[in-house]
Amino acid sequence: MGTDRCAYLSRLRLVDPIPKLWFSLTALLVCVFAESVAVGLFTLAVLSGLNVALGGQRVRDVVHFLKVPLAFLVVGCLTILIRPIGEAEALWALRLFGRFRWGITAYYLRLALLVLCKALGAISAMYFLSMNTPITDLTMALERLHVPKLLVELMELIYRFIFLLSGEAGRIRVAQESRLGYQNFRQSIRSLGELASAVFLRSLHRGNRVYAALESRGYTGSLTTLPGQYAPGAWFYPMAAGVAACQILIFFAERSVLP
Amino acid sequence: MKQITTPTLTPRRAGRLRALALIPLALVLLTAPASAMHIAEGMLPKPWAFGWMAVCLPFIVAGFLSIKKKVAASPRAKVLLAMCGAFAFVLSALKIASFNGSCSHPTGVGLGAILFGPTATTVLGLIVLLFQALLLAHGGITTLGANVFSMAIAGPFVSWGVYLLLKKLGAKPAVSVFCAAALGDLVTYVVTSFQLGVVYGNYVEYLSIFAVTQIPLAIAEGLLTVVVFNVLEKYSKAELQELSVL
Repeated sequence: MGTDRCAYLSRLRLVDPIPKLWFSLTALLVCVFAESVAVGLFTLAVLSGLNVALGGQRVRDVVHFLKVPLAFLVVGCLTILIRPIGEAEALWALRLFGRFRWGITAYYLRLALLVLCKALGAISAMYFLSMNTPITDLTMALERLHVPKLLVELMELIYRFIFLLSGEAGRIRVAQESRLGYQNFRQSIRSLGELASAVFLRSLHRGNRVYAALESRGYTGSLTTLPGQYAPGAWFYPMAAGVAACQILIFFAERSVLP
Repeated sequence: MKQITTPTLTPRRAGRLRALALIPLALVLLTAPASAMHIAEGMLPKPWAFGWMAVCLPFIVAGFLSIKKKVAASPRAKVLLAMCGAFAFVLSALKIASFNGSCSHPTGVGLGAILFGPTATTVLGLIVLLFQALLLAHGGITTLGANVFSMAIAGPFVSWGVYLLLKKLGAKPAVSVFCAAALGDLVTYVVTSFQLGVVYGNYVEYLSIFAVTQIPLAIAEGLLTVVVFNVLEKYSKAELQELSVL
């Protein structure tokens, strides 16, 4: 599901997740705080590059996952770009229905470009984390970072159950579709409602069964597991500092070039 | 922002470009519902991103404490809550058809709020949204606060309030479930468009896009939730009563 498969195949999989977490978060936060086109593009290039070079991800996969949020980003930026502009000076404009003047102004063109580049940089930083760290490692790292144990346990259980339930929902969906269950609107609302309620009932039953299984094995209210054996990852910290330094340098360079 | 009052295009040239303008507009209208409910990573400037996180914090703490109390009372609640969280994730991955041919997925906001109460929904919503950001790149880490507020706080609280109110007024169960789910869905979208509009200064644009695409979707989600409730009521009264332990 999603980036999960990549995370298990990553070369960095066995590296301690906490340094990876801090590395990605630093790059992400500096990118978001800089609010600059150049820093965004730099973060996009460097983090995606490291994803391929260090994580051993295929370029095709990295590009594929970058394309996923692109649809939303393009829509978001188009709504920033093309807007009612009154009688302001425009690069391009037209009158909708002969009355409302819509168009693109230089200011909003720059803003849309900024948002697009910043978001792409931030997304690539997030992908560096999620494509190289399995969720179970991440939740264990959160526990080591003193996130409340109950929350971490809920995350672990939810993560496990997502795969159970989505498999179940997928099979029901195929069965319904092969019986023409989604032919028209009325039918598809009915089928989807039945699917959702069936999955819900089964998830309740499964929950009860999981609880019974746990209790028969001496469950006392918390699931404790041993942490994995990780390769040391302290070398991520100097790298984080280096990337952040480059980002800040580019930020000031852009400021001095552009007025 | 410069405000100069000289139109640069004559109406004739603008008329020629009108056909061109329809392309991005159509693009916006067609793709907006598919992914409009999550604000993508990096879309919000820093004060808003962290501001929304701060707004969410008290709700999450309250939700966490209420879950803690329930889990202390009965250890089984933890497993059941986790199942419900996973159900919300799976529900949001299902495609739902709409009247105008567009396609989106149910938010599950109303269903969650009515079944588990708004505070538990907030915590489950936080976890589900984090997984959606990491696994599917729907939403993001810096925009998590804004997304949690629209989908796991505003929507559920409205749904729950509407449901309780209509129940108290003696409306039919189907009517109150429909209204709660449809309004919860709608409020989620209105809050999302407000969150984007307040930053980029064009509420009207976001709201009009949502009005075209989301009102039919809200109705579809309302109908869907009614169907789910009818089935649950028919086949699993016992489970529903058990859930009220949660």
